[in-house]
This record gives sequence, structure tokens and C-alpha cells, in this order.
Amino acid sequence: MKIEVLGSGCAKCNKVKEIVEKVVNEAGIDAEIIKVEDINKILDYGVMVTPGLVVDGDVKFAGKIPSEDKVREWLTQ
Amino acid sequence: MAEEIKCACDSTNVALFSCSGASNVGQLSNQLAIELTEKGVGKMMCAVGIGGQVTGLLRSAEGCDRIIAIDGCPLNCTKKALELSGLEVDRHILVTDLGITKNKDLRVKGPELSDTLEKVSEILAN
Repeated sequence: MKIEVLGSGCAKCNKVKEIVEKVVNEAGIDAEIIKVEDINKILDYGVMVTPGLVVDGDVKFAGKIPSEDKVREWLTQ
Repeated sequence: MAEEIKCACDSTNVALFSCSGASNVGQLSNQLAIELTEKGVGKMMCAVGIGGQVTGLLRSAEGCDRIIAIDGCPLNCTKKALELSGLEVDRHILVTDLGITKNKDLRVKGPELSDTLEKVSEILAN
């Protein structure tokens, strides 16, 4: 599984990465977590507001910090 | 050269969608969205991407705290496209309600933008 956290390194974006890492570790998911900071790459996904989360090329959310439960749902479904 | 964008995070996100239609009021709505973005009222987003069900654009709109839709005429295409995608419009601006009659001109006339922008700014401030 390829997980991309979209954001330029602010507190909100870092928080999302933390949540993702926690869920991945707890659930034992085999995943590659990538932080995407290049605004052009973020726009390539159509994402206009960050933080954002892309799982295997599918944009799951943008603009807010998601709950841990929501992230778990996206990564384990 | 455009200023480098460092981060797209905001404490509040306001999305601006315009119809950008093929008429004077459609093009005026597009210009209004640009001006309001530059004034910091919100961020212009791609209304046609909502109609096209582009996932990233849909998720971006869902992630916004408020949505402002600017339609040129009473066909209300922007508002309808957003609502059909399950997005709630908080404020709806209709350019033809601001004293502009729809026609097929695609160039925004000199004073129309500044006059209309002033009216829209007043509406959004209340």
C-alpha cells in the first residue's frame, strides 16, 4: 500500500503523518508512507487545501485533520 | 513570477466556486472569484471539477468550512453542481441580481467588475 500525506510541513500536515504512522504500526499494515510537499504534485491530485491523504492514488480527504478512526477505516478496508 | 506557495493549510478554509459560463455574467462570476481570492475572502476552486467528479477537488470542497457559489445567471449551474455532489452552499451570489443583464459578450466591461465586486463584498460582509 502506498500512502501519501499531502502538505508542506506545517503542524496540521505533520499531525496527519503522525496519525497515519500510528495506525499503520498498530494495525501492522505493509505500507510505504510518503510525505508530498511539492505544491505542484499536490495540485496534480486536484487537492486545493491541505493536509490531504492519498491511498494507492485515491484521495481520501483534504483540508482537515481526520480522526484516527477514519484513517484506520481508510487503511484497513 | 508567482510568489512561492509554502503551505495550503489555513485555520479556516472558504471555497469559492464560479460558473465561468459563456456569457458576460459567467465570465464576470469567474473574475469575481479571482478578485475575492486575491482579497483573501476564500480560495477559488474548480467548479467544473465538481461536475466532473474529480476526487481531489470533491475532497477539497468537503474539507472546507464554508462554500460560496457565484452564478452568473438564474440557471444556477454552480449551485446545482455542488448540491448534486452533496456539498452544502453557505452563500450564493447571483450576478444578474446585481444589476447586470446577461448577454453573449465574453469580455468583462471596464467598470462592471469593480462595481459588482463592491456589491459582492458588501453581501459577503453581512
